[in-house]
Amino acid sequence: MKLDTSGLESFPSLISHGNDVAGEISAPPSFELPNSNDFDSFLKEAIQMVKPAKGTTTLAFIFKDGVMVAADSRASMGGYISSQSVKKIIEINPYMLGTMAGGAADCQFWHRNLGIKCRLHELANKRRISVTGASKLLANILYSYRGMGLSVGTMIAGWDETGPGLYYVDSEGGRLKGTRFSVGSGSPYAYGVLDSGYKYDMSIEEASELARRAIYHATFRDGASGGVASVYYVGPTGWKKLSGDDVGELHYHYNPVTPSTVEHEMVEAAAP
Amino acid sequence: MSIFEYNGSALVAMVGKNCFAIASDRRLGVQLQTIATDFQRISKIHDKLFIGLAGLATDAQTLFQRLVFRHKLYQLREERDMKPETFASLVSAILYEKRFGPYFTQPVIAGLGDDDKPFICTMDAIGAKELAKDFVVAGTASESLYGACEAMFKPDMEAEELFETISQALLSSVDRDCLSGWGGHVYVVTPTEVKERILKGRMD
Repeated sequence: MKLDTSGLESFPSLISHGNDVAGEISAPPSFELPNSNDFDSFLKEAIQMVKPAKGTTTLAFIFKDGVMVAADSRASMGGYISSQSVKKIIEINPYMLGTMAGGAADCQFWHRNLGIKCRLHELANKRRISVTGASKLLANILYSYRGMGLSVGTMIAGWDETGPGLYYVDSEGGRLKGTRFSVGSGSPYAYGVLDSGYKYDMSIEEASELARRAIYHATFRDGASGGVASVYYVGPTGWKKLSGDDVGELHYHYNPVTPSTVEHEMVEAAAP
Repeated sequence: MSIFEYNGSALVAMVGKNCFAIASDRRLGVQLQTIATDFQRISKIHDKLFIGLAGLATDAQTLFQRLVFRHKLYQLREERDMKPETFASLVSAILYEKRFGPYFTQPVIAGLGDDDKPFICTMDAIGAKELAKDFVVAGTASESLYGACEAMFKPDMEAEELFETISQALLSSVDRDCLSGWGGHVYVVTPTEVKERILKGRMD
């Protein structure tokens, strides 16, 4: 039994399929399904096995100068921290970014696939794809895999002819256009800081400081977020990485340790 | 997540030359959310006996209050402090009383016994004692702690070196655990003094 993977197709097949090795390679990609007695419960178990909780904090917002995108860098498996240096902001192409929340493999694979599709659109239509179009492509693919256990909670941020664009796309098939989003287990804490400090007329420095602070506060309160707070800016000329600060050091930067006053202090007796 | 991982904790105790050190993290959480970053997990029974309680925080607090009560009664009757070995047996008995509805905590007991000989032990939630000559660990970060202590421990360390070793072992282990950390609390106890220190750690 073969699963329909026309969503994965990025090029029309020009060569006729023969029964030889060349025909196998040029055939459209497909996933083999296992022969099991009870496929439904097998699928349920497989989904539970690979289903990682969306332990992360990512955020993105539109302001007057463009889009600010920020994320933490911790990967956790239950209680264990498997990595403190995961790249959660994925560079789809030089003017579009995607954020990663949920399954790392799912996000990385489908973002790269989206990048391929966007490039093919450019070549076929002699113009860049819009953020609306790119997010729709991804949302349609994820919708076709709905219920099969993909775990993707991503934001597509970019700059196209109509200006800055930001969409939220998830593996349930949802796609939302908006100006402020935060995704992951640390998102409630990030929203608190982001919503109270947000102004449309911020400068780039103010916006990047707001994004960094929001990620920092989320890493402080949420156990599944931490590591490095990365901040990216998407403007008319494309995206640029602004900063990547270790949140352990950021904490003492925002809350410096002041030595407390002592009443009596013991000092070394001077040598005679 | 299991009931032992509800609040998150990390505890370690190490033996040195005529001294011991006991250290804990400072986080109190409710699953992934951090509620407090100054939670006391180690408490003093008397000047040469400390107990740390890992696991569910409410059971740890209740159990500690019960133990203080029992020790005060002992002091009134015997007119002296309890030896660490005796105290460990007391804790074990109290935990086993609740064999079919246990306290969800793992104690780490550290003290100086006769002739100021250091004594450490840990127990599971129903009172199985584990005496060790070098170090004992408990909490959600216990696997990382075992590895770190095994690698860093040397026998017969003096108080200052023991402090360095236990602090490094604690901080490096909690940095691999989502549910514990946010600072550290270390007590180094010698026959003459008790030194309490707070560690600056990663707050994520």
